[in-house]
Amino acid sequence: MLSHLDDLASRALQHVGLTLVALLFGFAISFGLAVVAVRHRTTYGPIIGISDLLYVIPSLAFFAALIPITGISFLTVEIPLVLYTLLILVRNLADGFDAVPSEVLEAADGMGYSRRERLRRIEIPLAVPFAMAGLRLACISTIGLVTVSAVLGDRFGGFGFFILEGYSRSFPTEIYFGALPSILLALAADTLLIRIQRRLTPWSRRASAGGPEEPRWT
Amino acid sequence: MSPASGVTVEFDHVSKHYDPREKGPGAVNDLSLFVPAGKICILVGPSGCGKTTSLKMVNRLIEPSSGRILIDGKDIAREDPIELRRRIGYVIQQVGLFPHLTIADNVAVVPRLLGWDRQRQVARANELLELVGLPPDRYSRRYPSQLSGGERQRVGVARALAADPPLMLMDEPFGAVDPIVRERLQNEFLRLQRDLAKTILFVTHDIDEAIKLGDLVAVMQIGGKLAQFGPPEEILANPASDFVARFVGADRGLKRLSLVRVRDLAPRPVVMARAGEDAADARRRTLADDYPYLLLVDAESRPIGWIHQRHIPESGPLTADVAEPMSPLLEPSDTLKDALGRLLAAGVEAGIVVDERGRALGILTFADIGELLRSGAQGST
Repeated sequence: MLSHLDDLASRALQHVGLTLVALLFGFAISFGLAVVAVRHRTTYGPIIGISDLLYVIPSLAFFAALIPITGISFLTVEIPLVLYTLLILVRNLADGFDAVPSEVLEAADGMGYSRRERLRRIEIPLAVPFAMAGLRLACISTIGLVTVSAVLGDRFGGFGFFILEGYSRSFPTEIYFGALPSILLALAADTLLIRIQRRLTPWSRRASAGGPEEPRWT
Repeated sequence: MSPASGVTVEFDHVSKHYDPREKGPGAVNDLSLFVPAGKICILVGPSGCGKTTSLKMVNRLIEPSSGRILIDGKDIAREDPIELRRRIGYVIQQVGLFPHLTIADNVAVVPRLLGWDRQRQVARANELLELVGLPPDRYSRRYPSQLSGGERQRVGVARALAADPPLMLMDEPFGAVDPIVRERLQNEFLRLQRDLAKTILFVTHDIDEAIKLGDLVAVMQIGGKLAQFGPPEEILANPASDFVARFVGADRGLKRLSLVRVRDLAPRPVVMARAGEDAADARRRTLADDYPYLLLVDAESRPIGWIHQRHIPESGPLTADVAEPMSPLLEPSDTLKDALGRLLAAGVEAGIVVDERGRALGILTFADIGELLRSGAQGST
């Protein structure tokens, strides 16, 4: 039983690690692509289209296709995981930048923000709710996908290792033993991200944070 | 009153043409005008007349196709647009407050861009919020979504004033609020400007607003041509073309009422008595006057109400309970248009003129206003 717990802990660590790396790189790449897509409208369609298209590749096939190139390695696991986050993140980030009201941008330009300052101080903070919504989805989907990487051997897969093992031994308890923590991890991560978003965007909580109620005209 | 802190602005044969296939804002055609320092110049005209385009060329959000714009005699085309904009206040109709920043941080946006230290930013934001009537202790830490439209617009004005720019550009700043709030904001704007003496370019499609606020009014017509440029009195009295006459409206005689203020007319004297004074004496004075009412005032001379001469007791002290409800109170800074409106709304013939502390000075009647209209007398502004 103790060794089981040990196993569980190391698999949990692995699961979280694989997820974090995928999200980190996925977010960085998506951010760049979204900025390009919004700045240069003609690239918007192709960028969104390609990131959508990547998602239709079945994950098993993706891992298999990479093996001749990258072998059975960390990269083979991460490349598909990263690319799968693009569908969600690029779209959400681009939507987030697009959702910044035009009068806010006009005011920023009129006040004398340079393009870089405007992006950094206005557009990025205002895109945070969209970015976080995307990140939550990408996080849940990545945590699920990590289990599939168990097919690449027992060095990968996180909790997926138990699922696969349980399946090969026709031992359903072990399947639950893998699936349940994976589900719990996804829920915990989602809760954490919601917390972070609240912390980052105090302004989007419309509840009365101060002062007596004033008459509203708009 | 501080000396004029504004700068001169000059449009020198400025045109802006757009690609005809492109549906952009209005074009501007050979616009030349000069705005002296410290004056409010209103650009007014129907939509598509190029007024907003003209405004945005001053802070180079739009570049002219030809011609020059000079601020304080210097051609702005030679300046860095970012630097230029930080020296010009900018207010737009939709306000465009930054939703993720608190009210104080919104106001301090330009000081922050200019690299002021944090303490100075906060002090300036507080000072400005106070100035626009939003007590900083209640407002500075709130977010724009927690404010009403009128409050947001005040924040927009405070933000534009933050770095004390000599020139302000205002694009329909009061266009998105309801008429009551708009009127209040307009009055406060005029009060502020008396002290600040900025040079202000102000765009509106509302001729009444133009007449009320402008030292100078530039009437523009479709195609971006300047139809007339001058003080509002002159535009109302002598429209330069059929277009201007139609645009200012058939009621331009009435509109002149908004150029004259209550203080420009001598209030008609009326018999007054304080509550508690001897009724017999007040009665005698009222009967001797041709106006049949006595105005009862309190110890500080603030009006309480009217007493008809027949209802004044023959003896004893005057008491407030015999007084009838009051006429509208008119302040010296009210325009005659507003005064007339208030008389009409109250359904009475006369309003009581009071000074800044609410002390009764006399009355103003329909007849006084009618006489002014007939005589064509013009007020000072």
